[in-house]
Amino acid sequence: MIEVVPRLLPGLRITIEVSAISLVLATLIGIWLGVIRAYTKARNPLNWVLDAYVFFVRGTPIIVQIFVLFFLAPELGLRIDPYWVGIIALTFNSAGYQIEIGRAAVGSVGAAQFDASLALGFSRRQTIWLVILPQAVRRMIAPLTNEMSQLIKASSVLSVITVFELHKAANAISSASFKYVELLALQAVFYLVLILSVSRFARWIETSVLGAGEGAADFQVR
Amino acid sequence: MTTGLDTQFMLDILPKLLRATWITIQISVLTVILSCVFGGLLSAWRILGGRVVRAVIYGFVEFTRGVPPLVQIALIYFALPRFGVVLNEFWTGVAALTFIGVGYTIEIVRAQVESLGRGQSDASLGLGLSPWQTLFLVLVPQAMRRILPPLTNELVNVIKASALLSVISVNELTKVANELIFIHFVVIEVLIELTFLYLVVVGSLMWLSRWLERRSAT
Repeated sequence: MIEVVPRLLPGLRITIEVSAISLVLATLIGIWLGVIRAYTKARNPLNWVLDAYVFFVRGTPIIVQIFVLFFLAPELGLRIDPYWVGIIALTFNSAGYQIEIGRAAVGSVGAAQFDASLALGFSRRQTIWLVILPQAVRRMIAPLTNEMSQLIKASSVLSVITVFELHKAANAISSASFKYVELLALQAVFYLVLILSVSRFARWIETSVLGAGEGAADFQVR
Repeated sequence: MTTGLDTQFMLDILPKLLRATWITIQISVLTVILSCVFGGLLSAWRILGGRVVRAVIYGFVEFTRGVPPLVQIALIYFALPRFGVVLNEFWTGVAALTFIGVGYTIEIVRAQVESLGRGQSDASLGLGLSPWQTLFLVLVPQAMRRILPPLTNELVNVIKASALLSVISVNELTKVANELIFIHFVVIEVLIELTFLYLVVVGSLMWLSRWLERRSAT
């Protein structure tokens, strides 16, 4: 079991890469859309579009979303490497969940802040960027960490579209050696260590850099 | 018709996909019932058990939440026969999802029971009830009312996770749709129906969960 560890490391690297790139992209897109969602009026058609997007992301399994993108891209005449199909699929999925994170964090800041800032002569844009978002960021840390672990777990599903991440790399070894259970147990350890260190690191940021924050319990499986 | 969609084909495959949806629902409902039973028992044990028992259950919960569901499903699929447990695909799928579901259920129950506050258990213990009586006669009945919305949510999660069973060849919705794509080389029509069916099932459950939440709030 020990001798296969080095052969799993390239897979582990892809897992980390794919999840990290998707997290960064999805955070930028998701939080931005979340802020838009928080500040558009209820009747605005943009809201319906965003709500439909969130409904689609929450209402279908991630494996289906990955399949849709994987099969749809060639139909539309796009030739994308599975690696990037994977990143786009994970970003698409995670951004949908992060719209809610952004919206909730911005909503928690309080309308008085917004009014006060406008009264002091800030524009709406300045208010959002300089007053609301800096306060909202602290409340995003816990859900974003959770999002990182969700992405690491979801990246294992990319094995079905031949992305050579940890699960796929281990599968390749086990289908040659028939040591399925051993390799799965080994992978489980890899994933556990990865996810636990991500959440420890985030808790450290939360408590020592930003001051105490509240942890968020989330019972999502994707 | 120049929509570009083969509507006749979509009608033809609908019965097949509906049957597969029914399998998905059966697997998910069985999983939630089984995870409630085992999860309930284990969470009582987690709350009342000794230090070793608590540590073991804590480790189990961390495992189910920290390891990708896909890996756990494959693990159960390959590990069960090694321990002499031979099940067909359907029940292997139920077993795998139950394994994951129990971990999540323990967390849900623990969170609900803890949210009741120490006062309840202190008062009940002070009145001379045993810890087990306190749990089952005082805490659980109160937690029950609040457990329904998260459990519906859990069913939603299980339905979504059941799509992963396609990799161990359980004939649920995703697997059947995937096969249809490879047999007929028709992509968009199948994908539209696949996502639509999931959205109908999951969407109505999400709506039910919100309704239950509103009702239990008042």
